[in-house]
Amino acid sequence: MMEFKLPDVGEGMHEGEIIQWLIKEGEAVKQDQPIVEVQTDKVNAELTAPAAGVVKKIFFSEGDIVEVGTTIFTIQEENDVSVPDKKMIDEEIQGVQSVDVKVNAEHITTKQHVVRALATPFVRQLAREMKVDIEKVKGSGPAGRITESDLKQFKENNSITLNAKHHDNKMAQEMALMKGAIQAKGMGNEWEERIPLKGIRKKIAEHMVKSVSTIPHVTHVDELEMDQLKEFKNQLKEYSDDKDIKLTFLPFFVKAIVIALKEFKTLNASIDEKTNEIILKNYYHIGIATNTEEGLIVPVIKHADQKTIFQLADEIRQLAAQAREGKLSIDQITGSTFTISNVGPIGGMHATPIINYPEAAILALHKMEHRMVVRDLEGVIRLMMNMSLSFDHRLIDGVTAVHFTNRIKELLENPIRLVVEMR
Amino acid sequence: MVVGEVAVETDVIIIGGGPGGYAAAIRLGQLGKSVVLVEKDKLGGVCLNRGCIPSKALIHTADQYQRLNDLGKMGIRLSQERTTMDLGVWQDWKAGITSQLRQGIAHLCKENGVTVVKGQAAFLSDDRIGVETDGDFETYKFEQAIIATGSRPFIPSFIKVDGEYILDSTSSLQLQEVPSSLSIIGGGYIGIELGMAFAKLGTKVTIIEMANRILPQIAENLVKEVTRNAKKLGVNIKTSTRVEKASVVDGHVHLHVSSEEQGAEVVVSEKTLVTIGRIPNTEEIGLNRAGVTVGEKGHIAVDMECRTNVPHIFAIGDTTPGPALAHRASKQGIVAAEVIGGLPSAVDSPNVPYVIFSDPQIAGVGLSREEAEQQGYSVKVGKFPFSANGRALATNETEGFAEVIVDADNHILLGMHMVGADASNLIGEGVLALELAARVEDIALIMHPHPTLTEGWMEAAEAVLGHAIHIVNK
Ligand SMILES: Cc1cc2nc3c(=O)[nH]c(=O)nc-3n(C[C@H](O)[C@H](O)[C@H](O)COP(=O)(O)OP(=O)(O)OC[C@H]3O[C@@H](n4cnc5c(N)ncnc54)[C@H](O)[C@@H]3O)c2cc1C
Repeated sequence: MMEFKLPDVGEGMHEGEIIQWLIKEGEAVKQDQPIVEVQTDKVNAELTAPAAGVVKKIFFSEGDIVEVGTTIFTIQEENDVSVPDKKMIDEEIQGVQSVDVKVNAEHITTKQHVVRALATPFVRQLAREMKVDIEKVKGSGPAGRITESDLKQFKENNSITLNAKHHDNKMAQEMALMKGAIQAKGMGNEWEERIPLKGIRKKIAEHMVKSVSTIPHVTHVDELEMDQLKEFKNQLKEYSDDKDIKLTFLPFFVKAIVIALKEFKTLNASIDEKTNEIILKNYYHIGIATNTEEGLIVPVIKHADQKTIFQLADEIRQLAAQAREGKLSIDQITGSTFTISNVGPIGGMHATPIINYPEAAILALHKMEHRMVVRDLEGVIRLMMNMSLSFDHRLIDGVTAVHFTNRIKELLENPIRLVVEMR
Repeated sequence: MVVGEVAVETDVIIIGGGPGGYAAAIRLGQLGKSVVLVEKDKLGGVCLNRGCIPSKALIHTADQYQRLNDLGKMGIRLSQERTTMDLGVWQDWKAGITSQLRQGIAHLCKENGVTVVKGQAAFLSDDRIGVETDGDFETYKFEQAIIATGSRPFIPSFIKVDGEYILDSTSSLQLQEVPSSLSIIGGGYIGIELGMAFAKLGTKVTIIEMANRILPQIAENLVKEVTRNAKKLGVNIKTSTRVEKASVVDGHVHLHVSSEEQGAEVVVSEKTLVTIGRIPNTEEIGLNRAGVTVGEKGHIAVDMECRTNVPHIFAIGDTTPGPALAHRASKQGIVAAEVIGGLPSAVDSPNVPYVIFSDPQIAGVGLSREEAEQQGYSVKVGKFPFSANGRALATNETEGFAEVIVDADNHILLGMHMVGADASNLIGEGVLALELAARVEDIALIMHPHPTLTEGWMEAAEAVLGHAIHIVNK
């Protein structure tokens, strides 16, 4: 009998909600067949059968919140020669122990021994750190001893059981792992703290390194005058209030960017390094990189070009709420073609944003503030905002990039033009 | 209790300053947590003040005392005719040792930022404890708590320990004079250790044990040598015998005992020591207010991380089910501290070594032959007697043997046991071997220094493989 415990699909997650059972008790399943849909901190994950067999028992109902490490179902494996399951062995030990206690409290006993995985204390500790159940690992060392590399191998093989909905997209899996809090492991002293680089931080780190080391980044900065857009937005307020929509600047930015992307196709593109091809994308999925308490997530607005300002506003609001509640599915955080990093609300003037690999560019929008600027040789106060565009210099020349931001600038500084260009 | 008192806030509170509690406190201090350690009596707990250390000091003294009698064989003539023992002086010497160790612990606590509070602690709720010190009452609010209140001798209802005639292990280690006769109820390790020590100091010792042999928890073949030696020392061992009544008559203890063979009889001695087990101190610490449940025998069940049923309250040492041993308490203390500190720590080993300071000593780790067979292993056993070991002969300590238990299928070591001189120190090799999942070949192939008793392990391992050098392999 094999027990399936709720895995920590993103390091640091503590519990998940059972959304839907895709099988029933007593049903025969194939290896890797989806068994249950679980919702974790921010994504939905489909968990698949670790082995072929018959689902013997399901321990939780839909809607139950289950802690990581809890057995959620058991599978009777096809060629199971009725090995006593671990629970029974545990009970046996318990039995022995309590009998001992009864006999004599002053006892010295060695009767706690069970057949257990052969491994040194260090390897056991390592297994705990890696969150690997050592009893499940097959040892390759002498007489079946488990080595450090056995653990690593096991960990790698096992992460495959987590089938994110988009198998094709490696990124999707990585993003799926980018959730849950980064758990600080206080191992340092009072002067410094050492936190192992792992989990989502590690994924982010790897992703960033990959992006920067593959894509030659160039960052171009410009500033925008926002007074007119603000005015325009204010005028729409009554209308949007009627429709019960909270209008922010972001939908306008998205719209302007999409219009510009359609004109400068290499900015909505990627390079396929394997085939040496440039992929120009005729769909406009805008990722909005947002720093949340839980870490970096990038909800994606699909087909942003086909949506009205109000639709965008509504969708952004929904995505934000879902992000806060941890209810985003993998679908909702993958597949962007261009990314906006909306750091404005936090502050700052310039940045060198790192491109969300394999995209071609990323635009960071900075803090909006009143600044003294010169117009017609006179100092005036205007509502200003900076934007920083990092782009893939393999694909995009500096001139193109400047034309691109100029176009965005033109549209945002003159909202009437924006409206005219909108579809 | 003062109404509206202000609680002192701390990350972790530990109740009990024994080897479990203080180890946890120091480790938590290292991990940067604020820690309050509450101890009602003396730092170091039973182990340091009334258990391991004082008993080993007495046993060592008794050994030295007895050894003087053997010196004649080696040609040493002592000028004084009769050696005498002044237990009063010994008490001072022992107090010196324990106080030095206590100061060491206090110093380490201080250096690691641990606040030591003297007083009796009890839970008020699942996040508060109250501490009573000389009529004062203080409350503490904690994030996590560790219960390390240890255990005390179990005394059956028909006997009253008075500390003068009827003793428990604590009062027996506080005697100012060597008693002329001592009956010991209970042939477990504490009874045997203290019984043999007093016998060496000249006390006439009787041990009364309900089971059919002494040290019933230890494999029989290991105990034989000790039984034989105890008899040589003049210890009268009554097995399968139960005590029914105890009374003090004219300054002597009368124990009414009965056995199938001997029927009823009265054992008369100057003093009686009751040592039939220990019970956990879990009744008076308000566990119900914290929601912590205890088992039938008062033990607090914990998981591998030493968590109780209340996830932020931990329990360690003698308060938990399992062998009541100081090293288990310390290990659990460190694990609980690390878990609280966010480290992936666990007590995940069944290899709890045991040591018995009998004469000769017994020590072991892992399975005995019987246990291994019961668990379905096909077993190979290798044995090597100390009488074939040069060092044992040269130090006149030839009793005993080393024994290794091996899984015949893959030669992995399942158990290592020893009875003989210094077994308590020698078992370290066994613990290491088992924890590293060594094969018997690993022991056999290691160069063991000569002449030492450690060669016993090597020869026992070679015996399993059929090629021990210093015995005939059958
Ligand atoms: C004679 C004898 C010989 C022994 N020899 C050995 C040996 O050779 N090897 C070995 O491994 N073990 C030996 N032991 C066992 C060993 O002493 C115990 O296993 C060990 O001390 C348990 O440690 P602990 O931390 O759990 O508790 P303890 O050492 O029992 O410490 C608990 C502490 O908690 C304090 N406390 C209790 N209640 C409260 C409260 N409400 N508030 C504040 N403080 C409280 C007590 O005063 C005590 O100091 C021996 C025991 C005895 C009696």
